[in-house]
Amino acid sequence: MKFREVRLQTFRNHEATEIGCALGRNVFFGNNGEGKTNILEAISYLCLTKSFYASSDATAVQFGQSGFTVSAIAVSDIDVSYKIDVSYSRDAKEKKIAVNNGVIEDKSSIIGMFPVVVLSPENANVTSGTPADRRRFIDVVISQSNKSYLQDLIEYRRILRQRNRVLFESKAGQRTSQDLLEPWNENLIKRGSQISQRRAQFVQEFSPYLVDAYIRIAGRGEEPSIGYDSSIKTDNSLTIEQAQTFFRRELEQQRVEEQKLGTTLVGPHKDELVFEINGLSLKTFASQGQHKTFLVALKVAEFFYLREQCQETPVLLLDDVFSELDGPRSEKLLALTANLGQTFITATDEQRFSTASKQRNDFARYFVRKGKVTFAKAEVLTN
Amino acid sequence: MFYTAESIEHLAEQFAQLPGIGRKTAHRLALYVLKLSRDEVVAFAKALVDVKDKVRYCSICSNITETDPCGICSNPKREQTSICVVEEPNDVLAIEKTHEFKGLYHVLGGALSPLDGVGPEDLRVKELLQRMSDSVEEVILAMNPNVEGEATTLYLSKLLKPLTVKVTRIARGLPVGSDLEFADEATLSRALEGRITL
Repeated sequence: MKFREVRLQTFRNHEATEIGCALGRNVFFGNNGEGKTNILEAISYLCLTKSFYASSDATAVQFGQSGFTVSAIAVSDIDVSYKIDVSYSRDAKEKKIAVNNGVIEDKSSIIGMFPVVVLSPENANVTSGTPADRRRFIDVVISQSNKSYLQDLIEYRRILRQRNRVLFESKAGQRTSQDLLEPWNENLIKRGSQISQRRAQFVQEFSPYLVDAYIRIAGRGEEPSIGYDSSIKTDNSLTIEQAQTFFRRELEQQRVEEQKLGTTLVGPHKDELVFEINGLSLKTFASQGQHKTFLVALKVAEFFYLREQCQETPVLLLDDVFSELDGPRSEKLLALTANLGQTFITATDEQRFSTASKQRNDFARYFVRKGKVTFAKAEVLTN
Repeated sequence: MFYTAESIEHLAEQFAQLPGIGRKTAHRLALYVLKLSRDEVVAFAKALVDVKDKVRYCSICSNITETDPCGICSNPKREQTSICVVEEPNDVLAIEKTHEFKGLYHVLGGALSPLDGVGPEDLRVKELLQRMSDSVEEVILAMNPNVEGEATTLYLSKLLKPLTVKVTRIARGLPVGSDLEFADEATLSRALEGRITL
């Protein structure tokens, strides 16, 4: 999938920006705070219905404006054209998404239609942050490739919040009863086992992609691996019924503890993704450099995995990665992007970028200043 | 948007409180009211007050009604052996339109939702249990197919099952007249989950 053009209206720094996108690599140069990342964020709205880093839609509205609109023309791998419009109104607190002018009622249903892979400084948390950061990583990947997973996830989160509320109130002594908990257990188990099973399956499917991507970036010598540590002790070899039985048993065992702590202690929301290099835990033993290599490998693997699963080439968004990665890694990554479909890159230092890109000129270059984007011809700048 | 007339602002304010009405629409409605004749406005206002004065909840099924018991509960032609439990009065209307169901209703007044502070005591659960006399043979649970509706279904079925009454739930599945290939994944997977033996 590729974007032909992207428009931003009163979106963060951009009053009215129109970008005719190159179908290969697009690079946006500019100083910090000028509005480079905003462009990638707008693309994230088109693909994932939300920003890849900000949690609130309201913050994406340009100061003093009542809402924003992001529109695009996208072309799928088999050359079908789509018009996508995402608009948000601050007053109505409402986000609307339309594809080919038809409003999409269930916004989550467009996730996966226009697959995207994002590598941004915030992603560093995937390897070095909390288990929640890693769960978010796999949730975004699986959601894009499997719609019922996303639906299960949305329902599971809702059930979890409701159930935690019952436990919290029972801890506070406001209401105490197993009867009130029970109606939530059944679907917690059903949806939860489904999610855990799907994640276990994903980890197995994803492994070869990761190994392959790691070799592309770091060469041979280090063997990465990804494992899934489920709180309901499930793995890919179990049937869904068995996973449910495990879940039920764990829940039963934690009953007293849950009442005491006032929160749900079992389920996919407690799961952990384990990254290793040569059998050693990345979290405990890896150097900064290994963390970065692993992260880039995860993202490259995500790209190939999604392309396979969605039967559609994802768009790649690289936000400020060249200030994070050292010279050789930047060069490897940039060289890789030549074969990864459409890519949107932001960079502050044009000199560094040019070094890393080995002066190649097959990049569409843009300058971003105070929310205005100017297209610059590649040849002029590389000379 | 500020109009010079305070009463227009005031009316728009009232319209804006209605569900699905935004600020702009509220102003348009307010200006529309201004164009109506006085009689029309009085009739409109009276209709609003009447709703509040005349409509009440049926003492048996808790549906909205002007007569107590409501038209359905007092109709001898309705089958007294089955009760369909729904969340809101709207749901009664929806099921009535099908002309498929000839029994009685029970309106719960919502669904379990601890996050919104709705527990069993906030719903008309006790009233439902009180209606479980010998003549009731089947209770059909027709909650919304969402997380809260599911939990309410499970909660009620647990309460009702010991009462030797047949407890059923409405099926979840595919919309009639559509193609399988166009169904969304979630609906399709739920339909698979709820498959029945032929």
